Amino acid sequence: MIVAAGIGYALLALGPSLSLFIAVISKKPFLILTVLSSTLVWLMSLIVLSALWRAFLPLKTAAWWPYTILILTSVCFQEGLRILFWKVYKKLEDILDAFADRVSKPRLFITDKMQIALAGGLGHGVAHAVFFCLGLLTPSFGPATYYVEKCSKIPFFLVSATIALAFATIHTFSMVIAFSGYEEGNKVDQCFAPVVHLIAGMLTLTNLAFGGCMIGIPLLHCVAIVTLVHCGRMAWRKLIESRSRQ
Amino acid sequence: MDGGSILETIGTEIIGVMSPVSICMFLVVLIVYSLSSTSSSDQQVLRTAANLVYLESPTDTTSTKLEGALLNALVFVLLITLVTFLLVILYYYRFTNFLKYYIRFSAFFVLGSMGGSICLSLIQHFNIPIDSFTFVLLLFNFTIVGVISVFSQGVPILLNQMYMVALGIIVAAWFTKLPEWTTWVVLVALALYDLAAVLAPGGPLKILVELASSRDEELPALVYEARPNVSSRSGNRGPNLGLLLAGFSDGDSIELGVMSSGENVVRNGRENEEIGGVRGGEFEGETSPLISDGHVVNQEIRESSNESNGSRVMERERELEEEEERGRGIKLGLGDFVFYSVLVGRAAMYDLMTVYACYLAIISGLGCTLILLAVCRHALPALPISIALGVIFYFLTRLLMEPFVVGTATNLLMF
Repeated sequence: MIVAAGIGYALLALGPSLSLFIAVISKKPFLILTVLSSTLVWLMSLIVLSALWRAFLPLKTAAWWPYTILILTSVCFQEGLRILFWKVYKKLEDILDAFADRVSKPRLFITDKMQIALAGGLGHGVAHAVFFCLGLLTPSFGPATYYVEKCSKIPFFLVSATIALAFATIHTFSMVIAFSGYEEGNKVDQCFAPVVHLIAGMLTLTNLAFGGCMIGIPLLHCVAIVTLVHCGRMAWRKLIESRSRQ
Repeated sequence: MDGGSILETIGTEIIGVMSPVSICMFLVVLIVYSLSSTSSSDQQVLRTAANLVYLESPTDTTSTKLEGALLNALVFVLLITLVTFLLVILYYYRFTNFLKYYIRFSAFFVLGSMGGSICLSLIQHFNIPIDSFTFVLLLFNFTIVGVISVFSQGVPILLNQMYMVALGIIVAAWFTKLPEWTTWVVLVALALYDLAAVLAPGGPLKILVELASSRDEELPALVYEARPNVSSRSGNRGPNLGLLLAGFSDGDSIELGVMSSGENVVRNGRENEEIGGVRGGEFEGETSPLISDGHVVNQEIRESSNESNGSRVMERERELEEEEERGRGIKLGLGDFVFYSVLVGRAAMYDLMTVYACYLAIISGLGCTLILLAVCRHALPALPISIALGVIFYFLTRLLMEPFVVGTATNLLMF
């Protein structure tokens, strides 16, 4: 029962990502490599951020503004990294196309490009879920559970798993949106990812208030659903366009 | 709809090496995780080749621990060097059969006794109802099949690969019982040793690998071979690879060498026979597009166009087919499996977060080594980059990231 609970939390956070991985990513070795490298990038960004903030932690104050600054800097840093990631990907795409010409295979399809973006986003999402949720799940395999004072109705592990689920979704699909935005020069899509990321980060600030998680988490999931729907519509539009062009 | 997409072919070889390493590490982490909770109270300290000089006790001061761990690592590396040279000498004078039988014996020993004891502790821990006769029978069969699969040609490659991973898991699970400081210092020392043994002129592994490739024989050591299975490379892949291969298939073997050694050391519960290698250039063609600056690809094209004319390409295609029949793949020494897993297993004793960070670091180090392999085209040590990255990430995660993440996540703040 205890192990079952731990596995359940893990699957709650990572289940969708796992099925996405098995269904789309795992058949193509290159996508697996993309997932791994993007996870590594995210991990390094987290390490850099924690090095920056190490001196100020743990925050003793109950005030919310230091946390706001923390989230603001983190989101800004990670969004900067996303642009870097895009530039690297752009170079990689040229190399891949050159390679495809050499082996007389078709160049990257539009679906391939979106899959690479999806793999990159999935890496970010999985890394987020692993470090913010799975990394803390170890005690949940033991006999007890843990409640945070501010959110006393739901076990801590359950809360963090649901939040991690929302963030994994946001990270995964906002990467697809951002990449297509950069490619088409679409300003709305370019700004969509940072804005959504920032909103989601700020929404977790509600958890600092007593009982705030009852409001914050549903809102967070709304943001995740908005991202998902936006990404789905965008992908649909691009697919229709590319089909009509053929 | 993406039937012809190049995404499916690029990186197959890399994944072919990474996935067994990942499986090995994952299982070691599971074993360490499930066993460490029970045995932490009554953990008996083993005296093995890796802690001959000094036994760590928690009460010692840091400097004593460091000194002892350094001595341990020194002695261990010296032992390994001696044994490797012995192996090279034996191989040089063509005691190949002796070596093969010896390695079969070590495999028998490792699978039977060490694997058996790990199985026993797992059975105890999970209260699995099994009687001793059945257990012994199963273990014996498992061991014998493993011994047969080590050097035989007739065995399915999958079975061989599975047993290689099993050997790696068993040895790594034993290594994780070493005390903490000794583990870290030994890992670093081994990485340095590996660097020297493979790259320095006169390094034992370099000699061994060159000897083996000049005699065109299998390396007399336990090596995981990521041989692509035949079904996946049938069809239209051959010609494409032929183009990719241009310039590389003159049969020079590219070995991803690692440390080898560990003859009598096996008895002490360690075993480090490993040499890895890559033969055949197909790997290069596959990796080169992964190199981000694009130089290498162009360089390769240029190279191939320089030294080849049209007929040469045809010839190469033929060569390629021969090569496929021989079925050479990337080879990774078993020692890499073991020490990667030891690092991850040691990280598992601290936290899940460090496990994941170390896993990523090691895998990316392996990826870097494979890319370097495509550039350098000779045997490369697989330990140094991965171990260096793994150790760095472990301590960064433990010292910097953990307080940060725990601090924010327990406030339910995420971003």
